[in-house]
Amino acid sequence: MKDIKRYSPVEFKVTPLKIENRDHWDVVLEYHNEGDGPWLVDLCHRPRLDLQTGHLNVKKPFGITIPAIPGQSVLEKGFLINRMNRIQSSIYHLGGDAVEIPNETEYTDVTEATVFLAIIGAPVFAICEKLSSLDFRDKTRETPFLLQGPFSHVPCQIVTLSRDGEKSGMVLTCSRGYAKDMVDAIVHAGEEFGLKPAGEKRFSDWIDSL
Amino acid sequence: MALTITCPICGKRNGYEFRYGGEEKGPRPDEKDLTPESWCDYVHMNKCVAGVQQEWWFHRDGCGSWFTIFRDTTTNLEKETPEAQE
Amino acid sequence: MMSRFNHLPTLKIDTSDKIPFTYRGKTYYGTKGDTVATALYANGVRIYARSLKYHRPRGLYSMDGECSNTMMEINGTPNVRTETTLLKPGMVIKEQNVKGSAKNDMLGFLDKMDWAMPAGFYYDTMHKPAKIWPVAMKQIRKAAGIGKLSPDHHMPGKYDEIYPTCDVCVIGGGPAGMKAALAAAEKGLRVILIENRPWLGGHFDYRTTEYVNRQTHHDRAVQLAKEVENTDNIRVFTHTANVGTYNNNLITGFQVGTEKDSFTERYIEIRANSVVVATGCIERPLLFENNERPGVMQAGCALRLANTYGLLPGKTGVFSIGHDLGLEAAVALHDLGMTIPMIADIRQDGQDPSLVKALADRKIPLQRGWVAIEVHGKKQVQKVTLKSVDGAVGKTVDCDVLVASAGFTPLTGPLVVNQAKQKYDPHTNFFLPTDLPRKMHAAGRLLGFENSRTIEASGHLAGIQAAYDCESCSIADLGEAKKAMESLPGPARGTKLVMAPVKGRKTFICFDEDTSIKNIKQSIDKGFDVPELIKRFSGAGLGPGQAGIPGHNLPLFTARYQALPDIKIRPTTVRPPLVPTLIATYAGTNHTMLKRTPIDDLQRKDGGIFRNIGVWQRARYFSRDFTAKKEIENVRNNVGMLDGSTLGKFRIHGPDALNALQRVYVSDLSKIKEGRVKYTAMCNDDGCVIDDGVVIKLGENDYYFSTSTGRAGQTIEWIRYHTRYDNWDFSLVNLTDAMGVINLSGPNARKVLEKVVDIDVSNEGFGFSEYKEFLVADTIPVKAMRLGFVGELSYELHVSASYMKALWLMLWEAGKEFKIQNFGVEAQNVLRMEKCHVILGQESEQRTNLLDIGMGFLWARKKTGYKTVGVAALAQAQQDNTRLKLVGFKMENNGRAPRDGALIVDDRIRGHVCTARNSFSLNEAVGMALVEGDMSQVGTRLAFYEDECNGELIYGTVVETPFYDPSGQRMKM
Repeated sequence: MKDIKRYSPVEFKVTPLKIENRDHWDVVLEYHNEGDGPWLVDLCHRPRLDLQTGHLNVKKPFGITIPAIPGQSVLEKGFLINRMNRIQSSIYHLGGDAVEIPNETEYTDVTEATVFLAIIGAPVFAICEKLSSLDFRDKTRETPFLLQGPFSHVPCQIVTLSRDGEKSGMVLTCSRGYAKDMVDAIVHAGEEFGLKPAGEKRFSDWIDSL
Repeated sequence: MALTITCPICGKRNGYEFRYGGEEKGPRPDEKDLTPESWCDYVHMNKCVAGVQQEWWFHRDGCGSWFTIFRDTTTNLEKETPEAQE
Repeated sequence: MMSRFNHLPTLKIDTSDKIPFTYRGKTYYGTKGDTVATALYANGVRIYARSLKYHRPRGLYSMDGECSNTMMEINGTPNVRTETTLLKPGMVIKEQNVKGSAKNDMLGFLDKMDWAMPAGFYYDTMHKPAKIWPVAMKQIRKAAGIGKLSPDHHMPGKYDEIYPTCDVCVIGGGPAGMKAALAAAEKGLRVILIENRPWLGGHFDYRTTEYVNRQTHHDRAVQLAKEVENTDNIRVFTHTANVGTYNNNLITGFQVGTEKDSFTERYIEIRANSVVVATGCIERPLLFENNERPGVMQAGCALRLANTYGLLPGKTGVFSIGHDLGLEAAVALHDLGMTIPMIADIRQDGQDPSLVKALADRKIPLQRGWVAIEVHGKKQVQKVTLKSVDGAVGKTVDCDVLVASAGFTPLTGPLVVNQAKQKYDPHTNFFLPTDLPRKMHAAGRLLGFENSRTIEASGHLAGIQAAYDCESCSIADLGEAKKAMESLPGPARGTKLVMAPVKGRKTFICFDEDTSIKNIKQSIDKGFDVPELIKRFSGAGLGPGQAGIPGHNLPLFTARYQALPDIKIRPTTVRPPLVPTLIATYAGTNHTMLKRTPIDDLQRKDGGIFRNIGVWQRARYFSRDFTAKKEIENVRNNVGMLDGSTLGKFRIHGPDALNALQRVYVSDLSKIKEGRVKYTAMCNDDGCVIDDGVVIKLGENDYYFSTSTGRAGQTIEWIRYHTRYDNWDFSLVNLTDAMGVINLSGPNARKVLEKVVDIDVSNEGFGFSEYKEFLVADTIPVKAMRLGFVGELSYELHVSASYMKALWLMLWEAGKEFKIQNFGVEAQNVLRMEKCHVILGQESEQRTNLLDIGMGFLWARKKTGYKTVGVAALAQAQQDNTRLKLVGFKMENNGRAPRDGALIVDDRIRGHVCTARNSFSLNEAVGMALVEGDMSQVGTRLAFYEDECNGELIYGTVVETPFYDPSGQRMKM
């Protein structure tokens, strides 16, 4: 039934310019007046998986080797795989066509469990500094890397993908229920830097540029 | 506010990201021959040392691991390298 | 308006840019760069406020806000430190604690009443008889105190917060601090430098004397500041007061925003690996009669008024000082046009020869071993009497300014609040910091250094020490930095506490609290003989200046008065905040962070009245009728829908999944069949019930289970905690937010559901306690259970969060013909109470165990080998009949329900009401209560005692449960 709609918990107060219907989601590709950055992108429709097992070392999701050390991430073939701890990895599908979720019990589809956002642009760390004491600028970490900790007081998974000037950016997940308050907090913190909502295209272009 | 805990997964973080899990007391006693007294001792009796103790912490806002650290209860500072559980 | 210098290199003002402000109802002008205090000074204001107790006139004294002398009300905000607050256009400035004006205060006579107010007079006089206190308090509060805050006052401005991390944090942007920052930054470290004033430079900045090779101190400050600003890895926060330092080098500060910033003030919380404290010194006040009369000011204050703000402090200035900065100020102020009839220097010798020569060149008389003993002038300085320290000779000199300064006090606050000790050092006459905390270093003037090159070298050394802490430099670097110090002069000799003999009746050791030397003597004579006790008895150091004025004079004077041979006495304990701070800045941005369900917007549109329940926002009612009558009746008679999405939902899988469940749940879960719903509970180690929910077997070692809303956040932590020694391999996934929950309940629920789904929903096809998975419209995945929490035919549909809105609307549409309605949390609460279904936390409290609430049937007593949490305690509790039991009760004579939490009493408290309501389904008031065991038999009469019932009890009787549909037919139909 094509009139059944899936809703993102994120709603920006701006007018969409281009929308694509994808697997019952209305994915906004572009908004009016996105500006020159920094940008906040809603990625709630992008698939996320939890992979959890005592034998993580034998798993190769989508043929990709999971990083050995917790806190490390790998971006490959459009997948971002983050080692969370000894037994757990999160997998974000950031680009490319729809994927089949592996039919093994160790995988759980957690797309719906979290809100998924990207913050892109040079001032991203100045924005984050207002909301979190997590050290995104730690020089001993190489991008992409995962930080798990409080962001605006809510436990989050945050993957810093780049710290290279305008290309700087990160993706963030937290419990889906916090979507509205989290977006409000980020928008408020980013106001002084000109943070604006952007569509998925902006995100895809950015990922491709990395 | 100032307390830091070193999580074996996430590194040194603010104390408020963690939940305290009590002193390290070893595994749960066997059900066999368990008396109410010995059970109560395990659950409720603590050493409460003024000095370094091994204790459990859970990284609630972070990686979700339980682990132990050694903390000097008189200074609130960690000692040595904590060992990881998971 | 006074004329201002505009040619000095050290100026921070722009005299061409005038800024209007209102003071006492009239418009005045300051200039750009002025503080409120200097703008007022430029307009001839000398008396800024009246003191707390005696209403003595008070004026500009230190320039860094160490006392309440110049606190004023600005734009309705009281107690603003005008010395450190920059003037902004349109500010409305008012005086505080005056009846009339600061100049002519009708309460000024109180100054003569000091004999009636000795130290501790509140304690001594105001308690007998006790009833005088409320009256006295009102009068005292009218007369005493500083600013007044209107209850309606709303703090103007924007308040923000940031949480930066760095390797090295340097507190203090003077020469030592800048050198420390540069040294650490050179080693590649991330450095944060915070400075209290709006610019870097410290005490170099306002001085035009020679630093080295004809370069002035000011030029050196500018040079260093440029270097710092050009270093990428040094982040500078100016106009940022350090307010606290804590364990593990957590540093907090408050930054005042500039015109360019998006904030008025912001809270900065810095986590640093290593810290350098280079906060320098303030001046130690000189003690003499009327030592705080307007016109008396410290040397740095006088010098900065001229050099920084272009204001000559007065026409004629007498100096009574104890250090070279005082001489330096005299030379500078003389050259700017001040007449200096005399300088009294406490020191017999030790003056910088070049300064002595400069004074001689200018024919300024310098009296060594002299000191001021009394200032004359009712409201402002008119003349001063000076004497030789031994009191043998004296002289009275006319003047309008007295520059008075006894010596220096190191600003050790940042070290001391982080547990450093202090030790008296006779050479510097300082209480020097010792036993510094781990990875914390001190540098610069606060160590007693006065030589400019030593100050810088000590800063450099501290920067290297900090880099060493961060493992970013070698031991050789450290040795080199230490060696550089050796060739330079060490700490300077400090001036001892010197006072000419006076009674001290009007010699103030603490300005904020009007504490005189006499008061200190009174305290000591009463046995309060150490600073901590004197502080509390006399008030010295309790004021908003955070003991900036009495700081080290108090212990020094205490030791001297008691003629203690060795100064073991310490200054009073310093605590954060180190400077007075706005609560608005502490509050920061304060974002609300609460969870919303997937159909939050629909629930609001339908008129839901929301309440915060734990981390969630939930619709509690759907009308202003808080009994929820309509909602309840519609579920009982028809069909309703509840948004139950907040329910905790988890998947557990992996080889040891069943083991883990068996550990925490009291039931035997090895017996659950696929397609069935198993209701069970978790206890803690005391057998007290903490959670209930259902478990569904999805496959081998693969389960889906629910928890109560409030427990969801702790479930993974709980299960992992109780299995932490077992090395079990199982995986837990929190799906609470992933799944929305629709509770479709009421006799017509089946009729609604069958219109939407394709599966057989008949009682045979989908029976009570069964579980089904299916797709709605071939698209929406649903996990469905038949439960009966509200006591009616009921379906609980768990649906992917993004699809929930679609499914909800489909059911709503299908239910229209049956007049489907929302019901909220309160309706659900009543419905389930009528069925005596418990909600943990309502029908249980912390001490309530599984047996107390009659759920012992969930406990699989034969299940062994799993070390199940709580069963050891339950086995013990079985024998105990003194425990509270959960019972149902009805009210007598059609009476109303008691309030939740009402007590059940006879001659003592025997229990309490958990939930009670006037039931519409039963037409009578019913409820559940926890009562002592002997009162739990059916037929027992219960007496209820409510808050403020004035002894009027209401009565009920223990009855059989449940109240509604005892056979349970309705939920199984």
